[in-house]
Amino acid sequence: MLERHAIGIVILAALLPMTFVPAAADMKYPDMQSQWRNPTAGRGGNPWDPNKPMGLGQQAPLTPEYQATFEASLKAQKEGSQGNSRGSTCEIAGMPKMMNFSERMEIVIRPNIVYFIPVQVPTRRIYTDGRTFPKDAPPTLGGYSIGRWIDEDGDGRYDVLEAETRNFKGPRVFESTGLPLHDDNQTIVKERIYLDKSNSDILHDEVTTIDNALTRPWTVDRIYLRVRKPIWIEKNCHESNPHLRIGDEEYFLSADGKLMPVSKGQLPPDLRYFEQAAR
Amino acid sequence: MLRTRCAMTCVGFLALLLADIALASAAAAQTYPDFESQWKTLNADRGDAWDPSKPPGLAQQPPLTPEYQAIFEASVRDQAAGGRGNNYKSSCVLDGMPRLMSLTAPMEILIEPRLTFFIFQNAFVRRIHTDGAPMPQDEPPSYQGHATGRWIDENGDGRYDALEVETRNFKGPRAFESSGLPLHNDNQTVVRERLALDKSNRDILHNVITTHDSALTRPWTVHKTYMRERNPRWEEYSCQPPPNAVFIGLGEYRLSPDQKLMPLRPGQPPPDLHYFRQPQK
Repeated sequence: MLERHAIGIVILAALLPMTFVPAAADMKYPDMQSQWRNPTAGRGGNPWDPNKPMGLGQQAPLTPEYQATFEASLKAQKEGSQGNSRGSTCEIAGMPKMMNFSERMEIVIRPNIVYFIPVQVPTRRIYTDGRTFPKDAPPTLGGYSIGRWIDEDGDGRYDVLEAETRNFKGPRVFESTGLPLHDDNQTIVKERIYLDKSNSDILHDEVTTIDNALTRPWTVDRIYLRVRKPIWIEKNCHESNPHLRIGDEEYFLSADGKLMPVSKGQLPPDLRYFEQAAR
Repeated sequence: MLRTRCAMTCVGFLALLLADIALASAAAAQTYPDFESQWKTLNADRGDAWDPSKPPGLAQQPPLTPEYQAIFEASVRDQAAGGRGNNYKSSCVLDGMPRLMSLTAPMEILIEPRLTFFIFQNAFVRRIHTDGAPMPQDEPPSYQGHATGRWIDENGDGRYDALEVETRNFKGPRAFESSGLPLHNDNQTVVRERLALDKSNRDILHNVITTHDSALTRPWTVHKTYMRERNPRWEEYSCQPPPNAVFIGLGEYRLSPDQKLMPLRPGQPPPDLHYFRQPQK
């Protein structure tokens, strides 16, 4: 009889953790809370579709009008200008380009919000509290994101975060080649974010962009790699930015903080308002 | 006898498990104070005054060394003449510590066991390392510095009450406030903070900040107060220099209405153009 009691106690003890450990909180979300890095970052470019080369190699499904805009940007960049790219202004990229993450980012999950925390601004918030898109929010480059967690296999644990982002302003591009989005800013970005089934150190973000510059929705599968020993390096775009614009002219700043031409034979700026002659 | 021993073992096992579960529960949501929220400064009427009990600028009466008092006064004069003085924010140089904690825009706190995030609307995220690990030897200095913190249970009730933070490893230039109130350019600043909820109003967060810096004759302590915002809204922030300002190296210039470079002040020399081979237009 006593043995039966003892067995009962052991079973009870084994079951107790299942009852009291905070299953309703941390346990139901996938193991996404980590630092992540983009494997294509730091290789001299950051293609929107990571499986194809940047620029025309992306084979973006652009309308003829926006294909022409794109090709004009590429031509301007070849001649030393920035084209459609806004990177030289250090303006934030906005969606969907901000999911390129040229620097590492960290994901933090709370019941009502999922945070994508980059090294630089802005932190992206995906609201998962069931709210709808606000009617009075001013449009932004990053847009407004609402999401929902999906338990695809019914095991009581979420597998996928689905997010939808709207309410944009522009100009925005997909990548630094100047691959454009439509200037009506009616973009809708839909994402499915989930861990790789065979390797939980890989995070997928299937991004589908619906935009009037495109002939059809454009889906790419971006991946991020988990960083188990995170490091954070402060990096300010403005501090490391070698580009400078004076009026309509672009220049470089040298490492010693002096003005340089961007192209051979470029004239220096007009200094007529200075009393002293240039040194 | 055997049965009694077995029963005692099982009861002991159960007791241990219950203790583990109690600890696990305490270590989760119950451990930390209710900091997770959006916070705004309660001292917005003082602008970004470092000591919010005094107006910004010379009225701060900072305990500066004579050398740095002179630098400060020169900054105030330069700003009165239209310059930026020691306030480099206009060219989007990061505020850094301790100035960040004046909260000129909302901030959100997120607490993880190893890391507490201060997510600023208009600045880079600040990370307070609470895992007890030392600062990595090879971490480059930064405007924010490296922050290590520890949670304090002051009244022994099993719940943390305060977060104590120490921040080191800086680069510059940095200033306490937009008047250009300077920190020393040796960047050996040490900032100590103590954050705790108000005991009578849980929607008030106190941050007592003590700055140790070679520009100061003594440690300087100020008391910042933040107010919880229960219906947070966020604005998108992207630092951009003023549209008519041009920064070339440390030099500041202006853009004329006809889009040409012009001096900020009378007699200012033009920028160095020795990288251009052709004469100017």
